[in-house]
Amino acid sequence: MFVQGVMMLHVALGVIGIMFAVALFVDVLNVNEGNIERIKKLSLAVAVLIVLAYIIGGYWYVVYYGHDRDIIKAGQWPWAHNYFMEVKEHLFFIMLLLGIYLPIAVYRNVPLMEKEKRCLVLGICMLIVVLGFFMEGAGGIIGKGVTMGLIGR
Amino acid sequence: MENSPMDKYTAGFGMALAVTSVLNAIILVIKEENDAVMKALKAALGHHWTTHGVIVIVVFFVLGFIFSSMKLETKFDSHRILKYIIWGVIIGGAITAGFFLPNLNLAGAIKY
Repeated sequence: MFVQGVMMLHVALGVIGIMFAVALFVDVLNVNEGNIERIKKLSLAVAVLIVLAYIIGGYWYVVYYGHDRDIIKAGQWPWAHNYFMEVKEHLFFIMLLLGIYLPIAVYRNVPLMEKEKRCLVLGICMLIVVLGFFMEGAGGIIGKGVTMGLIGR
Repeated sequence: MENSPMDKYTAGFGMALAVTSVLNAIILVIKEENDAVMKALKAALGHHWTTHGVIVIVVFFVLGFIFSSMKLETKFDSHRILKYIIWGVIIGGAITAGFFLPNLNLAGAIKY
């Protein structure tokens, strides 16, 4: 149960991080004096959520994933590990750096009244959302890879 | 409205992000192709991925502070930094996704 809890926490933090990045994107599009504080808090929240998702997911991957990997590789969808997990685990580093950079781009450029500074923050949000969707999709495929491996037993 | 100068940490860490995104993929290719490097990464912190991650994070911060002291903000504007970041992520992502492409055999999925 603990192992599943850790995994679900990793997924949940990632999903909430993506949703906050979308909220930040919308807030930056509509930036005004009234939402500057929320923009700052959201950028920090996205960073914290992604870092936590990285630490918790990394703990699960290093400590518990080996068993699942063996099931996937012996099953019908070995590429769920050989491709999707391999790509996911390495692309996550880029998402982590984007998450860490986001509050730097926000806090050092508020009140974001200039278009090109808003574009920088919007671009970072967009990259986080796109990579985040890939992470979630790849995670789903990896989970299905375990199911396919267990069906074949 | 005239644009104000770019902040030095936004420029420096933005450039570090672009460079580290590509470097991350280069480290991946090197460790997967070279057993000695893979063993060294495993030996350092117990798991190659853990060591890889620590290297990427440390490089990002070190490069960030180095680039921030190089007055990049006087040479680049936010658009250019964003462009470098996007290209860094695309190139790093393409190398990573492309490197593992031979592993993507979907025959099993089509069967089901």
